Amino acid sequence: MSFRIRMILPLLATLVAAVGYPLIYSFYLSLTSYKITKRWDVHFVGLNQYKDVLTNSDYWSAMKVTATFVVFGVFLELSLGLAIALALQRQKKFRDFTRSFLLSPMFITPIAVGLMFRFLLNQQLGAIPTILDKLGLSYDFFGSGKALFTMVMIDTWQWTPFMVLLILAGLESLSKQPFEAARVDGANPFYTFKRITLPMLTPILTVAILIRSLDALKVFEYVYATTRGGPGIETQTIQYFTYQTGIQYYRLGNASAMAYLLLILVMFLVIVLFKQIEKARRS
Amino acid sequence: MKGNKSSWGILGKLLISLSFLLVAMPLLWVSIASFKKGTDLNNPTQITFVPTLENWKEVFSSGIFQSAGRSAFVGVVAVSISIVLGSMGAYSISRYKTGKSLTRFGILAAQVLPPAVLVFPFLDLAYRLRLSDTLVAVIAAHLSFVLPVVTWFLIGFFDAAPKEVEEQALVDGLGRFAAFRKVVLPQVAPGVGAAAIFGFVLSWNDLFYALILAPGNAATLPVRIAGFNTFRGVELGAMCAAIIVSVVPVLITSFFIQRRLVRGISGGAVKF
Repeated sequence: MSFRIRMILPLLATLVAAVGYPLIYSFYLSLTSYKITKRWDVHFVGLNQYKDVLTNSDYWSAMKVTATFVVFGVFLELSLGLAIALALQRQKKFRDFTRSFLLSPMFITPIAVGLMFRFLLNQQLGAIPTILDKLGLSYDFFGSGKALFTMVMIDTWQWTPFMVLLILAGLESLSKQPFEAARVDGANPFYTFKRITLPMLTPILTVAILIRSLDALKVFEYVYATTRGGPGIETQTIQYFTYQTGIQYYRLGNASAMAYLLLILVMFLVIVLFKQIEKARRS
Repeated sequence: MKGNKSSWGILGKLLISLSFLLVAMPLLWVSIASFKKGTDLNNPTQITFVPTLENWKEVFSSGIFQSAGRSAFVGVVAVSISIVLGSMGAYSISRYKTGKSLTRFGILAAQVLPPAVLVFPFLDLAYRLRLSDTLVAVIAAHLSFVLPVVTWFLIGFFDAAPKEVEEQALVDGLGRFAAFRKVVLPQVAPGVGAAAIFGFVLSWNDLFYALILAPGNAATLPVRIAGFNTFRGVELGAMCAAIIVSVVPVLITSFFIQRRLVRGISGGAVKF
């Protein structure tokens, strides 16, 4: 066996065991009536399971909730992240301290972030609604029509730092020459940003958007900490719905089919991401 | 538009100050609340109060440190395995293009798989092997994302490392594995460090797998914190204290790794 194979074999074997096997097993589960409470009584139901999931209006609702969450969250994080990264790049004083502090939310356990906002935004006991109330404004952060946007805000609080990190790294690796030239020509900062910074950053922005989207698709902790899917099913995301089906209702087969359908969407995004990364690596 | 340089500077400073407040205020508020009595917590805008250590006593006696210990254990085991297997594999992928772009794609895809796809097989297997509610199940599940993430990071670092030193070592008669261990690895040591920290944070923060695979006696820190999810006034303070317990080590860590992370990413860890 050649050296390179011997070097990669332990990695591959472990990945097959920890990722490949569950992946295939989960597909098998998705074709059965497996319930964790009735493990001795499993029927093969085949693709009917997928028909069940695809005709389940709650599943589509969860897809829509998740998509709304991802689109708004990632858009907000990108816009804010870009602005903050540009500001941080020019900053001279307290540089390291500001950067570490502003980046810190992305390292905090998401469940703690969720609970923190549940506490701060709680209608009766939370500081923010109470202050708003004293100002004569009444706003129920977890009320109908508002709860999903509150989730987006929580996500933005925690994950804008990730965008800042990637964009800041991107900005600092850009070649200085075009900026020098623009300065000599007396171009204004807005023009420089639109014509030089933004086009040069596009590859990194694409990757950042894809990584964040893939991650936001898995949103679970904020829902678990705050609304548990409510009011109604307004904030029931796909990951939370799958958790409910599999763990609360023991329907592992059905839940696996839900997860597999999500996987198709994820794979599509991964392929786009991979092509983008390979393109940049080759150039 | 008036492209005045100083006005952009002021706008930037304003934005940074505002972001600073937005990050600091919630954390500060929760810290203060962790020293409030139940009755004071019912009145959130009350400024003066007699501080109490009740909440902290409750949190300390709730087994939160055992949980933090378990989280640390899971993270260290998952990361150690990942660094050993990942560095060898990443070296093979980076230097010898093993499996070409298929392996690279597989490793990228593995790190973003929805946990909902993998968790039920892990749960079923844990039942069958009588490993449910143990850390073994959690470690196995964490390997499914820590290993690909760490490997991915390391591929980037090996790609960026110069080949000359290693070739010289081979000419000097070092075996290939010895060259890898004694010459190549030390070169990418900062990268290994960054990958290890990154992988550890991912494992440390995971709730989904840990909640499903070990919800009871082997609860990790996120699971324990989720257990404070209650709104009976008295436990609110304890919840705040628990949040602070989980936040403080992270704040300290991010303080130390921030500069390395920005440099690491722009210097080849993640290639764009």
